[in-house]
Amino acid sequence: MAETLDRRIDWTGIFFAVVLTIVIIFPLLVVGTWAFTNVWRYPSVIPQEFGLRYWYTTLARADVWSSISMSISLACMVTFLSALICLPAAYAFARLDFPGRNILFFSFLAGQAFPKFGLLVAIAGIFLQLNLIGTFWGVVLIQLVGTLLFMIWIPVAAFQAVDRRMEEAARDVGASPIRVFWSITLPQAGPTIAAAVMLTFVNTFYETEGAWLIGAPAIRTMPVLMISFINNQPVIQFGAVLSVLLWVPSFFAILFARRVISSGSFARGFGG
Amino acid sequence: MTDRPADDIAGAGRGKWGIGLLLVAAPVLLVCWLVIYPIISAVARTVWLPNEGSGSAFSLETYQFFFSDQYSLNNLYLTLWTTFVCAFILIIICLPIALYLRFSGGKLPAYVQGLAIFPMFVPSIVLSYAFIRVLGPNGTVDLLLNAVGLPKIRSPYLTPWGPVIGLVWDHIPLTVLILVSGLGGISNQSVEAARDVGAGRLAVLWYIILPRLTNSILVAVSFSILGIFSAFTLPYVLGPAAPEMMGPFMQRTFRELLDPTSAITQAVVAFAFCLVFGLFYVYSVAKNRRE
Repeated sequence: MAETLDRRIDWTGIFFAVVLTIVIIFPLLVVGTWAFTNVWRYPSVIPQEFGLRYWYTTLARADVWSSISMSISLACMVTFLSALICLPAAYAFARLDFPGRNILFFSFLAGQAFPKFGLLVAIAGIFLQLNLIGTFWGVVLIQLVGTLLFMIWIPVAAFQAVDRRMEEAARDVGASPIRVFWSITLPQAGPTIAAAVMLTFVNTFYETEGAWLIGAPAIRTMPVLMISFINNQPVIQFGAVLSVLLWVPSFFAILFARRVISSGSFARGFGG
Repeated sequence: MTDRPADDIAGAGRGKWGIGLLLVAAPVLLVCWLVIYPIISAVARTVWLPNEGSGSAFSLETYQFFFSDQYSLNNLYLTLWTTFVCAFILIIICLPIALYLRFSGGKLPAYVQGLAIFPMFVPSIVLSYAFIRVLGPNGTVDLLLNAVGLPKIRSPYLTPWGPVIGLVWDHIPLTVLILVSGLGGISNQSVEAARDVGAGRLAVLWYIILPRLTNSILVAVSFSILGIFSAFTLPYVLGPAAPEMMGPFMQRTFRELLDPTSAITQAVVAFAFCLVFGLFYVYSVAKNRRE
């Protein structure tokens, strides 16, 4: 059956490929073109003048630089804290036996049962009483909660996939538990855990809703600055340049995490 | 789930319990404090309102206001309309893509799959910006139409269709992934057997594939409904100012009208409308994970 299909021209495939290219790639190419355009006046189909002028002016803006450093420090802090509390927990869920293990493991799903922004508003109601609105640590906390599920479930699967017989063999020849973890467990589970850390960093970098609801106006991340560019900035190129800059972490995510995402286990994590 | 530590000897059990609970304590406490407690507290503080005296009393006043206020109701209707239109369009678009990806092989399907997953790597704020540049007033579509002498489009920017287009774009990857994963459970033999006895393509789809795919379709729909019902960024940037969807409505009530009680009432209303879908979604994810 596959052979006969191969010989025929795959019109369905060509149709999907063309339509999806137009709908998904084309709009992003338009943004990319705007970022490298000095002059593009209606009704010319292509820009009158290409150039890097707006890269210089965008990168000369103080608000752009402060939002870049704010985004990076937030994402680093959240990813670090998330790894610090989630990876040991993931190891415990995968390897240790303790009362309530299953119910605690599935408790991380609780947040998924509710519409996200509603949950953020409910959390904001609590942060209001704690004076965390408009503070760095308020945003860190709200973004940290959003990372827990991924940072526990993916590493648990990674730890469970490690070959137990190799660990036991190492113990038998006298290696300490820490040595076994460092030399046997971590190298095997490492790549998947690294992908989880990477995805956590990227997701946190792009997190807009918590930062906007909890952080504004003091905490301005790149996506939050982008919202104000869209709403109030008449110079189109500023937004285009910022979009290209914003896309950089995604580019690395595609390079490194693509295999994790195309694998079936990723879709199953979403209930597929 | 029968794994036990290699050195789990008699007597060491109690100490291991302590270590396990200690290691998971931080994230579990965080979930209790910032997921479970806020939800309970949100319901509690909207039904136990402070009265004139010093105490507080049970009252459904804020909900009565929400369901009698025409502006709130319009926002709710717009949200329900957007959610169901998006879920419907998503299934119409993603089911054929998923079917194609499941039943063909080679380079072209790999390219189609790559494109279908790609929006996952585009932050919604960049998507909003691209939308405005392409479909907004004097955007690229207008440029191209103008170049061939056709009139401009009626831009969906700042109309209810703006968020619909953006949200559908944003939710294509996971819908496709969930459906492809569900289609993976249907064997080639069952499809070929039906073809052998003379069933046409539509008959195979209707009698063999769809009945087995119902659960995945429901999971995909529940996931999109949860994401779209309280979406914020895309409706805030692309949608009309009034009526607005629940996400921007809650944000404005909380941050601009400085009325947290009303904002939390709106959040609880959103929870209630999504409850069935949320529970079903979480149940499906947990069931998958157990297998």
